[in-house]
Amino acid sequence: MNATVGDKAKSAAHTGGSGQIRLVDVTKSFGPTQAVRNVSLTIPHGSYCCMIGPSGCGKTTILRMVAGHETPSSGEIYIGDDMVVGKPPVARGTAMMFQSYALFPHLTILDNVGFYLKMRGVGKVERRNRAFEMLPRVQLDHLKDRMPAQLSGGQQQRVALARALITNPKVLLLDEPLSALDEFLRLQMRGELKSLQAELGITFLHVTHTQPEAIALADMVVVMDNGVIEQAGTAREIFNEPKTPYVARFMGAQNVLTGAVVSRSAETAIIKTAAGGMLEAPAAQVVATQGQAVSVSIRRDLVDVHRSGGSHGDTRNALEGTVEATEYQGNFVKITVRIEGEGQFVANISDRAYFAEPVVPGSRVTVSWKSADMHVLEKVDTGEKGSPYAE
Amino acid sequence: MSTDRRPWTFYVLATLFTAFVIFLYGPMISVLVLAFQGPSGALTFPLRDPSLMWFGEVFNPSRVGDVPGAFSRSFPLAILVMLLTVLVSVAAGFGFRRRFFGSTVLFYTAIASLIVPGLVLSIGVLVTARFLGVSANWFTTGLGAHLSWTLPFGLLIMFAVLGRLSPSYEEAAYDLGATRWQTVMEVVVPIVFPGMIAVALFGFTLSYDEFPRSWLTIGTKNTLPLEIWTMTTNVTSPSLYALGAMTTAISFLVIGLALGSIYLIQRKRGG
Repeated sequence: MNATVGDKAKSAAHTGGSGQIRLVDVTKSFGPTQAVRNVSLTIPHGSYCCMIGPSGCGKTTILRMVAGHETPSSGEIYIGDDMVVGKPPVARGTAMMFQSYALFPHLTILDNVGFYLKMRGVGKVERRNRAFEMLPRVQLDHLKDRMPAQLSGGQQQRVALARALITNPKVLLLDEPLSALDEFLRLQMRGELKSLQAELGITFLHVTHTQPEAIALADMVVVMDNGVIEQAGTAREIFNEPKTPYVARFMGAQNVLTGAVVSRSAETAIIKTAAGGMLEAPAAQVVATQGQAVSVSIRRDLVDVHRSGGSHGDTRNALEGTVEATEYQGNFVKITVRIEGEGQFVANISDRAYFAEPVVPGSRVTVSWKSADMHVLEKVDTGEKGSPYAE
Repeated sequence: MSTDRRPWTFYVLATLFTAFVIFLYGPMISVLVLAFQGPSGALTFPLRDPSLMWFGEVFNPSRVGDVPGAFSRSFPLAILVMLLTVLVSVAAGFGFRRRFFGSTVLFYTAIASLIVPGLVLSIGVLVTARFLGVSANWFTTGLGAHLSWTLPFGLLIMFAVLGRLSPSYEEAAYDLGATRWQTVMEVVVPIVFPGMIAVALFGFTLSYDEFPRSWLTIGTKNTLPLEIWTMTTNVTSPSLYALGAMTTAISFLVIGLALGSIYLIQRKRGG
């Protein structure tokens, strides 16, 4: 009986408790600039969390503060129940995978993976054996005696992964891990990271600036801009129910329109844009009262495009404009329409629909969508921030 | 009619380059060849009855200068200068990885000693040493004067090497539980080791060859370059060439060892 208790205690110490990450009012300043401003966030244990945002938004700074490579100017960071600010990475139970992998160029693959054990004073034979046991997990056992410079990008990344995992972390921190790989390898490694996370059951915190990567991998997506969190939620929430114009544009490359509520009934609210377009939104979503400004987003793939002049009965949720560009993408066609007074509006039309009624740059068209497909944003678009994905 | 014919500029530049190489190595080759002059040979071409007799003559203090004595000062001095140059340059290189107040001024001050004329510096060192009551000797004033020449080179190399070193290596080591000292010894030093060899090479050869900064600072007993200079005024035999050949051989040996070890390290890393 004692043995059982002992074993349990040992295995608990081995896995090191919870990998929940909790940031409480964390701020980081570099001189006069605030890279991270009063961020509070809880990432559940065992989740795959992606932080996304443009460069300089503070996502990497948060990652580095969790890792212990940067100290917050104020605020607290907890991993499990431990306040970890001031502790070295190993004491935090974190391990980091660097963007450039930072494999030690003078050590073999085996010694790179065994580096952590060497630092802990583990003898040569034991540490090489333990490092060698790690290699099959990343399919590198046949390359143990190679030097890092002799490996491909994907192989180097696997070494970096093995080197981090040998520390038995509760939290794995990944700094743009896929950015150095070509498209094919990126998709392959993306799948491997996801299944590895599921297998290990530890928390992954992954910084990226690529939307498909975040959406494909994450249980939880954290969208950042200017040192603050714009929105945190599941990938589906972020994509389908963005809260701010920024998230709508950045994550889904969605169309954002702004207007004022002119009338509302039990089911619908009518919004009139500055250019005179009439939008009809589900009333339940619209919090704004009559006369107040409101912004809505419409997904590109839920928009229809028809040549103007035809019979499209409804004038609500329909705007007229001129085609600026069409781009064939294989399974869909991207049509960029300039709408007077509103700016660019992008529709992704299935190739069948497009070739049934093709349009060319210069064509007058009407873009339209269903009322139910319109999403009302919590924040009004002030137009201050340009869309990074406006193209 | 072939399209891959080289343009005429290729031949002009190739000729120029050949002339440059002859200019660089011609004099040295002349010395090497004349070092094998026979007993009846003179200080000039042609080479008669090649022999090794002048090499033996070098070690005859009564006929020539005190070559072994001079070597016994020059070699340890060069080694000492080499070690100190590596030590100081690496330490300074680490220091300069972080920007600190006055770092730019300090850097240019250190580099500026390259443009101080050697003979002037030599006089300055001597005068200062007299004032401080230090006797001029190869291991005191001589060492200092040589370091004023080798350190700027060492600093420049180490700054370039350490400046290119990504901080993520150190962060990765810290992430994996290494202490500061372990990070330096297990990660940084091995990575920059080829650069350290280059610094050592500069330290050794610059000191081993140094004339102007040695002139007044090494005291009463000569180092090798000064001894050879003295010999040119009173020795009129090809043993001068034999000595030149031997010192050159030692320099080449050191360079060969250094480059060879850099090559071996790089090849081992597969880079």
